[in-house]
Amino acid sequence: MNYLSLAEKLVSKAVKAGADAAEIYISAGRNLSVNILNGEIETIEEADSAGAGIRVIAGGSLGFSYSNSLAMKSLEETIEMAVKFAKLTTPDENNIFPSLNGETDVDGLFDPEMEGIPLDKKIAMALETEKMAMSDSRITKSSGSFYGEGVSEIFIASSGGSSRSYKASVCSFGVSVVAEKGDQKKTGGEYGSRRFFSDLPHSGDIAAKAARKAYEMLDPRMVRTQKAAVIFDPDVAGSLLRGVIAALNGERVLQGASFLAQSLDKQFASPLLTIIDDGTRPRSLGSAPFDGEGVPTQRRVLVEKGVVKGFLYNSIAARRAGTVSTGNASRSGYSSLPGIGTHHLSLETGKYSRSEIIAATDRGLLLNGVTGYGIDAVSGNFSGGASGFWIEKGEILYPVEGLTIAGSGDTILNGIDMMGNDIDMNRSFAAPTFRVREMQIGGI
Amino acid sequence: MKLQHFSVKDIPRRRFLELTMKGGVAVAVTPALLSQLTSCGPGAASATALDTDRDMISRVLKKALEKGGDFSEVYIENRISKQIVMEESKFRSGLCGINQGAGVRVICGNKTGYAYTDVVDEEKLMRAAEVASYVASGEAPATVVSLTEADYKSFVTVEMPLAEIADEQRIEMIRRADTAALEYDPRIRMALVDYYDEIRGRVIANSEGLYLRDELPLLFFIVQAMSSDGKARHMARERLSMHSGFEMFSQVTPEEVAQNAAREAIAMLAAEEAPAGIMNVVMQNGWGGVLVHEAVGHPLEADNIAKGIGAFTGKMGQKVASDCFTMIDDGTLPNFRGTVNHDDEGTPAQRNVLIENGVLKGYMTDILSARQLDMKRTGNGRRESFRYIPIPRMTNTFIAQGKDDPAEILASTRKGIYVQSLSGGSVNPVTGMFNFTCREAYLIENGKKTVPVRGATLIGSCMDVISNIDAVGNDLAFGPGICGKGQNAEVTAGQPTVRIRGINVGGSKA
Repeated sequence: MNYLSLAEKLVSKAVKAGADAAEIYISAGRNLSVNILNGEIETIEEADSAGAGIRVIAGGSLGFSYSNSLAMKSLEETIEMAVKFAKLTTPDENNIFPSLNGETDVDGLFDPEMEGIPLDKKIAMALETEKMAMSDSRITKSSGSFYGEGVSEIFIASSGGSSRSYKASVCSFGVSVVAEKGDQKKTGGEYGSRRFFSDLPHSGDIAAKAARKAYEMLDPRMVRTQKAAVIFDPDVAGSLLRGVIAALNGERVLQGASFLAQSLDKQFASPLLTIIDDGTRPRSLGSAPFDGEGVPTQRRVLVEKGVVKGFLYNSIAARRAGTVSTGNASRSGYSSLPGIGTHHLSLETGKYSRSEIIAATDRGLLLNGVTGYGIDAVSGNFSGGASGFWIEKGEILYPVEGLTIAGSGDTILNGIDMMGNDIDMNRSFAAPTFRVREMQIGGI
Repeated sequence: MKLQHFSVKDIPRRRFLELTMKGGVAVAVTPALLSQLTSCGPGAASATALDTDRDMISRVLKKALEKGGDFSEVYIENRISKQIVMEESKFRSGLCGINQGAGVRVICGNKTGYAYTDVVDEEKLMRAAEVASYVASGEAPATVVSLTEADYKSFVTVEMPLAEIADEQRIEMIRRADTAALEYDPRIRMALVDYYDEIRGRVIANSEGLYLRDELPLLFFIVQAMSSDGKARHMARERLSMHSGFEMFSQVTPEEVAQNAAREAIAMLAAEEAPAGIMNVVMQNGWGGVLVHEAVGHPLEADNIAKGIGAFTGKMGQKVASDCFTMIDDGTLPNFRGTVNHDDEGTPAQRNVLIENGVLKGYMTDILSARQLDMKRTGNGRRESFRYIPIPRMTNTFIAQGKDDPAEILASTRKGIYVQSLSGGSVNPVTGMFNFTCREAYLIENGKKTVPVRGATLIGSCMDVISNIDAVGNDLAFGPGICGKGQNAEVTAGQPTVRIRGINVGGSKA
């Protein structure tokens, strides 16, 4: 359904109800998901949903309300609530909505064929993936496979300019299995997620990777507490670096709640580290013509050769910082106010292959599992649980688990001394394998 | 499987404890709150969904079983919420939300079909019933028993209904917390205060003839305080949450919450690098119970047991922990954040002993896993909203009161880490490997707490940790949290002071 004219109508109703400025954000969508366990359907779920988020500024104060009923009477009452609630908040000259003009042309956000592909074919794909993952003799049990898809449409109208909308699709499937040996149980899972059904990875590859992740961790050992090199697998790059991204949040920077608050245009990390946020990649998850408040998306280099090149802003934080929005207003649906977030993150690749990085490591940890919160965006400290493989003299010796790794963000990020060339841009945080020269490892 | 963030400590925790100790049952009341909700929105519109005609619900339950199946259910929900956020002493935003909808579920053998709709009318519910019945195999369906309204016991009391509270009173609590945090010490540079309340109305009806309707109020108050002395920075959190009326703030004041956050923020400015490697850990009473929530609670949820993959599969009746270790999940603790009265499938909440003196006694089930395992329903079938299938979840989960003097536990620990509060953590329920991040922790040297140490990770295996608990204090206390398992649930975690021998600590110092 096209809600654009409804959104526009609500903007004028809000202005009539006493708002100086109003913004209506409507999202409508459909979801389908199927879970498979041991060759049978375990759950199947389907739903349509829609709702409206109403943001108003009245007397310089911000109010917000939402409703998942799009009946006009409910919406009118929702508008009244937003206007009434605005009276409670503190007036702030930085409370503005962006003027809506222009959007980024991004190809391939919506797959017109996905929904038309028969459900049976999608179920068959999940069934096959589970079967293939279970075909390895080292795999003893299935935790299940799944297929899921969603279509969503976003509509934004504002008293500050022209209204706009876009439609996007996403589909994904994956599997998780268990390898057992004696009393040991190890789990492995893998999935693929794309905008287009035809872009999904092969089920055989997903199955093989899930199985391998489980069985290769059998018979792990502990190593002693020591300092050693740590090689980050592409799977875990985000677990370390998402704290850097959180520290680039322009609002946290303004509040002084970021360890990178004073680092603009300064070297804070190894020259091998370049981080790019891109909302414009064709057919990519994270891409969109505009952000959560209608500002055109961009491709931005956030960190270049270890130097902070810019922070992330939505309109309100940008105005406070004396700059303009970077198109990073994020919204988790109609029920939330715009926060600050990223689109698609990637690291610039280096010159080494993964095997060259391993071969160049005299003693260290090839890390493929990290638990914890990553680098703390406020203090810059890092500590996490770790698992992976132990390397000596350039060779992988055995799996290790139950270890910890820790350090200060400063030391770790400056310690990146080898950057790989093995990037898969389909990951939500796309990174090649990279190495940190030395970290504290906790063991026996 | 993340229990996230925040903690409750010291004074609020004692208050929580006092509430538990009152024991008995504070019966009654969430009467007709809905009619009083007009202050936040479409009273008329919202009343309709929960008022959905019972005969119509019966028709939907029948439709859902038309193609076969063992069980059908209609779940209708109406949630009205308010949120006010203060940052840097400014009221940054006020949110008011209405979420209403219904889900229809069909169980056929091990299969579940589910569909939900935002619009609660017969056409949409019938369509949802049809989608949900996709899993049915065409065998003779179960009979739909005619609906009878069930009574339930309430463990939630309300003295000051949220609907009668003026927004100005909410604002006042936030302002008081902000002021108290900033006045605590000049090194407190900023406070972030989050106020949230909701009233969640539920109608649960199923093919077994159950019809239940109730309303649960919830309050959630979070204060974060950021300290900075020019060299170090620390963001501390404290939170308070209950199913209760606004009287929550007379039991624990906003100042107490704020001062606890500020105390932690200042204490941790002096933090040094934590040591790395395996050592003894003493966990202070309260929210630290989140460790067993993750390490033992999640693996005892019956869904993974029914799949045959959970870490505790096949261990019922066996010795799995040390003798001094008893763990309980109890959805009936008066006004606690994890209290449910009855779960989201209509099963009454109860006190479930999971592990008693080291022996595995029970799993936490929902309707489906209870059927699959041929066990009783334990009142743990919970869902975040009508958009989710209910799954086995914890409520208020804790290590039972022990006999040891907490001071003695610390004094008898020569060397190790004293964990005053944890941020949160996660567990792999199959392998049992868990991890936690310390929010506030200290070195133990010669039986004394000495210097604070920076947020270190604790990791280990659930089987090891419960076998290695060698002291359990007599100071049981609780803290509120959010538990994530694909969907969120409000919970509390609790424990007395305990000592765990040999946990791997992720410090940055050798």
